[in-house]
Amino acid sequence: MADESLSGLAADIRAGRMSPVEAVERCLARIHKWDGRIRAFIRLDEEGALQAARASEADAAAGRWRGPLHGVPLGFKDLCHLPGLPTSCGTRTPEYFVSSQECSASRRLVDAGGISMGKLNMTELAMGAYGDNAHHGDVDNPWRAGHASGGSSSGSGAGVAAGFFMGAVGSDTGGSIRLPAGCCGVVGLKPTYGRVSRAGAMVLSWSMDHLGPLAWTARDVAMMLNVMAGTDAADATTSRRPVPDYTAGLEGGIKGVRIGLPENYFFEGVDGEIAAGVRQAARQLEGLGARVSEIRLPDPTAMTDVSMLITRSEASAIHARVFRERPQDLQPVVRARLQVGFGISAYDYLQALRLRARLTRAFVREVFAEVDALLTPVIPEPQPALAALKALTAEEFNARAGRFSRLTRPFNGLGLPAISVPCGFTAAGLPLGFQAVGRPFDEALLLRLAHTYQESAGWHHKRPQLA
Amino acid sequence: MTEARGRQVELASMAGIIERLAGDLALSEEPARFIAALEGSAADEIDGPKNG
Repeated sequence: MADESLSGLAADIRAGRMSPVEAVERCLARIHKWDGRIRAFIRLDEEGALQAARASEADAAAGRWRGPLHGVPLGFKDLCHLPGLPTSCGTRTPEYFVSSQECSASRRLVDAGGISMGKLNMTELAMGAYGDNAHHGDVDNPWRAGHASGGSSSGSGAGVAAGFFMGAVGSDTGGSIRLPAGCCGVVGLKPTYGRVSRAGAMVLSWSMDHLGPLAWTARDVAMMLNVMAGTDAADATTSRRPVPDYTAGLEGGIKGVRIGLPENYFFEGVDGEIAAGVRQAARQLEGLGARVSEIRLPDPTAMTDVSMLITRSEASAIHARVFRERPQDLQPVVRARLQVGFGISAYDYLQALRLRARLTRAFVREVFAEVDALLTPVIPEPQPALAALKALTAEEFNARAGRFSRLTRPFNGLGLPAISVPCGFTAAGLPLGFQAVGRPFDEALLLRLAHTYQESAGWHHKRPQLA
Repeated sequence: MTEARGRQVELASMAGIIERLAGDLALSEEPARFIAALEGSAADEIDGPKNG
């Protein structure tokens, strides 16, 4: 089953070619065999998954279909509150996040028939770009042992790539869905701010947090987004805009779609192999009918800085208690990041929020008058070796992590939808990926672009050989 | 550089960035205009639905 997709498995279950119990048992067999190395799970819910699969199978036999994800194994980042399971948020405290509100996005996926395999490893408090975690183990890259899986939704990306579940929920405050997707060779979508409810998920930064899906293909991600998206009374920031069927337009092609390759910022200082991979993908998209041109963007550095300041400030306010009462429980790199947030003045924080509004209007107006989507790299350097990261001081580590997320972070500040799509491999066998960014609420175009590319390039058929 | 000194440098740098960027913010600029910018500049607000 590791070579299947979420959409393929859902179709197999609906057609009776595979049972939910069989699907879950196959995932469990892979988890038992390989999660000792990958460390994608913080809490595997084996009994819960089997119980849900048996109920799902009985429903299928009786013709009671719960929804488009009936019987499909899914994983949830361990900052989503699911009833009956503790939520550690990657800390050493098993029940760090206690909430009366169930995670709305996760609930919707389960209501649509998805089966929870359990809670997934992540960087502590979702702060970090690499997927390391001193409490629960560093998440390993399925494509190459000892290399970063990307963070903070590290278990979500690595677990999909390893075939432990067919789709996962991640959160993204500065790139935390797109970085693990890019590092692990799967598709990850950060939707527009307000498109998916964050209710029932731990807050890192209420202004920058997004929840979104990771899976093997754009079609898989579209199926998950169909279920996750939409207004939610429990999250006042959700948009009331209607949710389209994201799968409906996937086959429409990309003829005439205007794609912009940034002249500034996004290719500056980027590893040659990564930049070449993205440019090759752009040529392929051009061959599929897109109109590709270079575009000069309003300086993204300003939005990167503003986003970082807002995130630091809000994260310190949210997580002040653990910092003050149990600082020894936190990893030094996390403590160092929170410490900075306490020193940011209210004046700077509020000016940053006001600037964000102005920068967003200017960016959207200038960029999307010229193009329909931007194409950029996801990460600026190849997935680093975990051992090399361990050798850094907390200060060096955080500085490097800041650089690692500099291509994704601007779009958290801008609130724009952004998708990470695999586009090949480095000479060392690590996945390459591109990021496509669209207008507000234009996830459908990004998914169509990603689907068209995947169908042509076929990288998603290649799977890691775990060893 | 000590950890404390590093933090001071980072804070000063962030304050400097805000000072440079926010100097000419309009009086009417406030955080909620971010949501308005997203809702008002969605694709179908500009040129009608074109997907799906």
